[in-house]
Amino acid sequence: MFAFYRELEGTAHLTLHAFKRVGMLRVPPVMEEFVRQVYFTGASATGGIVLRGAFIGTLIIAYVIEVLNADAELAVKMLLWVVLREVGPLIAAVLVIQRSGTAVATELALREISGEIASLRRMRIDPYDYLVVPRVHAMALSNAALTLYVQFIAVGGGMVLSSLIVGVPLDEMLTNFFLLASPLDLVYSFIKSLLFGGAIAVVACYHGLHPGSHSINAVPRAAIRAVTEGLLLVMLLNVVFAYVVYGTAFFGLVTAEQ
Amino acid sequence: MSALLGYEPVPDEESSERIWLEAPGTHCVATSCKEELLAAMNDLHPREGARLFVLGAEVGLLAEHERRALLGRISFVPAHGGLISSLNGWENITLPVAYHAPGRLLRLHDEVSDLLDDLGGVDDNLLARLPEEMTLYEKRLCAYTRSVLEKPRLMVVEPLAAGLGPTKRRRAARFADAYHARCPGGTYVQLEE
Repeated sequence: MFAFYRELEGTAHLTLHAFKRVGMLRVPPVMEEFVRQVYFTGASATGGIVLRGAFIGTLIIAYVIEVLNADAELAVKMLLWVVLREVGPLIAAVLVIQRSGTAVATELALREISGEIASLRRMRIDPYDYLVVPRVHAMALSNAALTLYVQFIAVGGGMVLSSLIVGVPLDEMLTNFFLLASPLDLVYSFIKSLLFGGAIAVVACYHGLHPGSHSINAVPRAAIRAVTEGLLLVMLLNVVFAYVVYGTAFFGLVTAEQ
Repeated sequence: MSALLGYEPVPDEESSERIWLEAPGTHCVATSCKEELLAAMNDLHPREGARLFVLGAEVGLLAEHERRALLGRISFVPAHGGLISSLNGWENITLPVAYHAPGRLLRLHDEVSDLLDDLGGVDDNLLARLPEEMTLYEKRLCAYTRSVLEKPRLMVVEPLAAGLGPTKRRRAARFADAYHARCPGGTYVQLEE
């Protein structure tokens, strides 16, 4: 229980630090770390999500039309509700946890164990400013960008592939999409994905900088904790966000009072 | 009575010996409490009961902002170099300057070239290589260059010639001269176990 409170306090401290010290991004070495992190988390991850996104979009439309025997309007509605609001941000978050969360936790834990963090302190460079601030902001932005990318690929690819595989007319789906889509869906998922990315980064940085011991075994432990707790936090934030914005959570099991 | 570098370990412990350097110049100190002293110098927070003196001040009596200011006047080069693994040679050497005084970065190229020449010269591509692609000597050279560029009043190093071949040992032996040429009146301390 004590360890839980210590982790909670530590991650809250890192979060506050990352927001309070955002101005450090003006310092050249910190900006370089930021750009490097955007490249690793955002740019180099885009290739892997094209197929996943397109398949998920197709799967949703195929299920709705074939299994539920629904029409194109319901299929597009499902695509909007599921992909734009929920699955898009979640897929991007899972991808970022899987690739960058593990990488950040492992890298920082190795740096701590090998004495690089002590080296930074000796140079009067605050490791939180130099390592945490750029990672948190870069991962938040990259996750938001990846989410938009997943949404575009899943919705667009889903509609195109569905018209080819299931035989639903593409123009009918497009018309329904533009009738039903609202800017709120995009704003909602954008803000949510920013939060997801920041949360994943904070958890990964915390476990990386506090590996528990200075043995090499501490490195995989830090990575495992970063992944499991990052996933848990993303799910928790998703539920809280859905409840706050739409007044519903857990697929409608919990609803806000009218 | 004050020292440029002084350390008094916890009195009742075994192998507790006092380190006391009052005069600037080059010193070679063999001590059994080397690790303890280095740990204390890392953040200028000595163990409870121990006393650390740096550049005439007893650090235990200093406020936190005074300790931070004092940290800016001392430098330490570990035997393994202590380089940042994701940065290449040039980025490692210029990191403290780029972080604390970015304006100085534009004028740094000639300064680094001169210093590296004084230290015995390097391969052309050393500055483009990551630490994992460097030899032990090259890592120490980069770390030492980085430290000298900060012009510290007190430079503490671990034995930088240890584990090197004869040519590199000769070059490493000249490191102290390069420091004194750039920081006249400074104190160079080599700590040995």
